[in-house]
Amino acid sequence: MDHSRQSLPCIAIHSLTGCAGELLVILENLDKILPFVQVVSFPFAQSKNEMRPVDIALVEGSVSQPHDLEKLRAIRSSARWLVAVGNCAVWGCVQKSACRIWSPEQMVAAIYGEGSPIEALPSQPLDSHVRVDVKLSGCPINATQLLSVMASLLKDHLPYITHKCVCLECKLKENCCVLIEKNLPCLGPITAAGCGALCPSFGAACYGCWGPCEAPQMEAMATILSEKGYQTKEILGRLAAFGIPDELLSQASSAWAKV
Amino acid sequence: MTEQERKSIHIPEICRVEGHSAVHVDIAGGKVTNVTLDVFEGTRFFERIVVGHHCEEIPHITSRVCAICSTGHVLAATFALEKILEFTPTDLTSLLRELMHLGMIIESHATHIYALALPDYLKVGDLLEFATKHTAEFEVWTQLRNLGASIQTIIGGRPFHPVNLHVGGLTKYPSSEELEPLRHEVSKAKDLALQTCDMLLGFRPPVARTTSPVFLALKPYDTKYGFFGDTIQSTDGWEDSIENYRQYLGEVAVPYSHAKRSAARSKPLMVGAMARLMLFGQRLGRNARAVYTASALYEGDSNSLWNNLAQAIEIVEAIEQAETIIDSLLTKLPGSHSHTPALMPGCIEEFGGGLHPGQTGLKDPALKGGVSVKRDDKIRPSIRAGQAAGAVECPRGTLYHFYVLDDQGHIVAADMITPSAQNTFRIELDIREIVSQSQAAEPATLQANLEMLVRAYDPCNTCATHMVSIAYK
Repeated sequence: MDHSRQSLPCIAIHSLTGCAGELLVILENLDKILPFVQVVSFPFAQSKNEMRPVDIALVEGSVSQPHDLEKLRAIRSSARWLVAVGNCAVWGCVQKSACRIWSPEQMVAAIYGEGSPIEALPSQPLDSHVRVDVKLSGCPINATQLLSVMASLLKDHLPYITHKCVCLECKLKENCCVLIEKNLPCLGPITAAGCGALCPSFGAACYGCWGPCEAPQMEAMATILSEKGYQTKEILGRLAAFGIPDELLSQASSAWAKV
Repeated sequence: MTEQERKSIHIPEICRVEGHSAVHVDIAGGKVTNVTLDVFEGTRFFERIVVGHHCEEIPHITSRVCAICSTGHVLAATFALEKILEFTPTDLTSLLRELMHLGMIIESHATHIYALALPDYLKVGDLLEFATKHTAEFEVWTQLRNLGASIQTIIGGRPFHPVNLHVGGLTKYPSSEELEPLRHEVSKAKDLALQTCDMLLGFRPPVARTTSPVFLALKPYDTKYGFFGDTIQSTDGWEDSIENYRQYLGEVAVPYSHAKRSAARSKPLMVGAMARLMLFGQRLGRNARAVYTASALYEGDSNSLWNNLAQAIEIVEAIEQAETIIDSLLTKLPGSHSHTPALMPGCIEEFGGGLHPGQTGLKDPALKGGVSVKRDDKIRPSIRAGQAAGAVECPRGTLYHFYVLDDQGHIVAADMITPSAQNTFRIELDIREIVSQSQAAEPATLQANLEMLVRAYDPCNTCATHMVSIAYK
């Protein structure tokens, strides 16, 4: 290896339980990062991997089994900056939503049969278990946001990631509002921006895959969907699908309590 | 038995595959006594996650099973649900779905061949070495992958986890301004795909399994090579409706492993590009067929390592089919603009991704509609209870989704069988056969060969994880 590269900052890219989508986004953009870093671990894409202290660890996926937790703790203790990448790592994504209803034991029994040796934990985002320095949500993450996070951290600077709602991006695109004009169950008002208002730009309702925006108006969201004629069960199902925290969901429920 | 006679091979984590898996082989007295392909990806319980959700939400949720084959998970779910709803999409919708699927095949195969499998052949250990010392290969990968991503982005909205594929159709059609440059990009990639085939034709597999598996693949709807169908065909001389998947994919106990395995009427099976070629290679288009007939596959060599080549042949086929589909779309689609879909002419909607008046609890059906204009009630799916299976040929093989719906359109029960789960039995048998015949080999070489073998199957453990041993009741 080129000698001068040995003084470059080290990064590691790990995955816990998820769809590997963030790994794909990172892999596809790695040529832009490679000149500035040494990749000491990226088991998805290379054979030579080491577990040693790194400057930046990017971690995808949720903590869903004891093995994930051990790995996450080891990563945390060896990383200067820990970046949670993707909805799974930041919010828990779809696997967390089912954990609100069933215990891991019930799900193991239902899918793999009684007495299965499979070990599962209730799916949780990384910050339920360790301190996380940067949270970059998305499902999948936005490549431009990823590169700006890397650029900031390589200068030892915490990145700025917007948590405003999707509606801002949607308005800038001059889309017609699918919630107001088309009465679709659009979750844009409570969902964090970053995708470029993708679903409404395609004439469809946002389904919240980026996770909640800052200070989401859960009660107002539930109320407007209710006024549009959507059933309570339907609304809660849609709101809960992509890992929204329980306390936000209960705010939505208070909308019906008042009626 | 002395200690010298007893040994084991353990590969704690196979790198360069999707997800996490380990291989463990026990050898005693010169015989392989136990082989396990252990998938230790965390479980995500998708069969439970979807329960209670409305059928319209399902494609967005199942997409998250796996990023690289998200389009396949979206389409398998959509096909099963539309079958229950007795909805038949328009020709235009079907063509766009097919093109979307071809985009996934190109992107997934290119990434597997170049980024995951090729480093074995080139003997490179890390990405930097690949990117800087093999710039030509790196560039071909980038271009092919980008092509697959462009196709899926133009139709689906992003390279994976598409936002434009719904139960009931699409919410937006691509414009000719988007499709014309894409047509050009597709044609340009054909040479790169053929180049990939030439490269892989030149690699000799270092090891070979000693028996041939049963190959399974969906019989394409029409007479051409394809990825959608309702009937499974086997090289063992039978075919069956996918609705009977539980019967023909029943599980068997295997003597050398602790877990039960999915099998084709009790025999170890292989699905994927190679299986599709073995069954339907005769249907390939001109260029893909030329490569296929020049390969060992055509001579009946069923070495699993040829799956890499089979994927390259499918990229050629996918590119040629994509050209035909785009040409046909360009004559069918009116010119339109890419923004404000609901208001611009030419952005035809079949379905808005919302609930249906009077069916799932809308208080006032008149509220629906808004400016979403010109919805044709006849082609909108209406909600009904029922159950059905849907299947597609994903990059790695046949993917089955099965759903039970209640009369409000909510999921009551679900089942998903992924290609990687179907291949596990045969991968273990391959490992057993190869270890049995190469015990004299250097341990490091043997381990490298085993990893290469597992990788050739392109296992997707994020997919396989929650279905490794499903207990059918």
